Amino acid sequence: MSSFNVLLKKEWRENLRTYKLYWIPLVFIIFGVIEPLTNYYLPEIMKSIGNLPEGAEFTWPQFQGEDIFVSLMGQYQMIGILIVILAFMGTISGERKNGTATLLYVRPMSFSHYFLSKWIVINTIVLGSVWLGFFASWYYIRILYNSVAAGEVFAFLGTYSLWLVFAVTVILAFSAWISTGGTAGISILLLLVFQIIDGLIGTYWTVSPWKLSAYAPSAFTGSVDQSDYWLSVGLTVALIILLVLFGIRMSKQNAAKTLV
Amino acid sequence: MSELENIPWNLILPILVLQMILMVVALVDVIRHQRTNGPFIMWIFIILLGNLVGSILYFIFGRRQD
Repeated sequence: MSSFNVLLKKEWRENLRTYKLYWIPLVFIIFGVIEPLTNYYLPEIMKSIGNLPEGAEFTWPQFQGEDIFVSLMGQYQMIGILIVILAFMGTISGERKNGTATLLYVRPMSFSHYFLSKWIVINTIVLGSVWLGFFASWYYIRILYNSVAAGEVFAFLGTYSLWLVFAVTVILAFSAWISTGGTAGISILLLLVFQIIDGLIGTYWTVSPWKLSAYAPSAFTGSVDQSDYWLSVGLTVALIILLVLFGIRMSKQNAAKTLV
Repeated sequence: MSELENIPWNLILPILVLQMILMVVALVDVIRHQRTNGPFIMWIFIILLGNLVGSILYFIFGRRQD
């Protein structure tokens, strides 16, 4: 296991030196703080800069704290996932190109350790950032709206975290298989475009990883078919395991493609 | 002046501080790293003027990974 620890340390240090460990959490926290604030002050913002005609009257929707969590998740689903894709698309393919891989592959190391060390560190960064963002948002929601039960928030975060682990696994597995550009394209297709497709025509099926973000808000309302929910969770976990195995296989197979 | 006093500073201030930290991290990185896609003076201006978006753009596109 000592080689695994070394690889973990190497990943951690790399993310520290490329500043990913600083800026990704910061960005997610900033989004988490802005979301409740803009929603709360929306009527006033629109009054001062919205260019509304004289005497226009709008009834603004009355948001509850739970709604802000869901709208922040919507924000993370688009901008957040895009940032994660762009930040980590070159994790393995980039290493093959810039020569780090040459230094690694000549040593006796197992490729499952290599892939899993990346998987663990990146998941830690992404989940940590998103959780910090939601906690920052939670603090503001308590001040501006109502307090939301902690059990519901953690159930919501748990479901959403599984989707994030799935997203990170997709990015890493494709990064092990194809070039950085291809990874970005396929990840955007799989994680962002499919999500829109699922939202548009997803009423025809009830079990898919993309449904997890739709099921997560049910932690607040409790209005979802339990069997559909658990089947989606099971399917996602199975897909994550398959993608990890695929990624390990591909990083081994593509080791020959390393530029020296 | 009363306009300024009406702003809930205790709510807004954390965002400003966080954005400032992000900007400082980006600037420290540009100045120490100096290897960017395109002239690094341009990236300094993007970070300074672009606020949150500028810093994110720098970290994603401006920073050369090799």
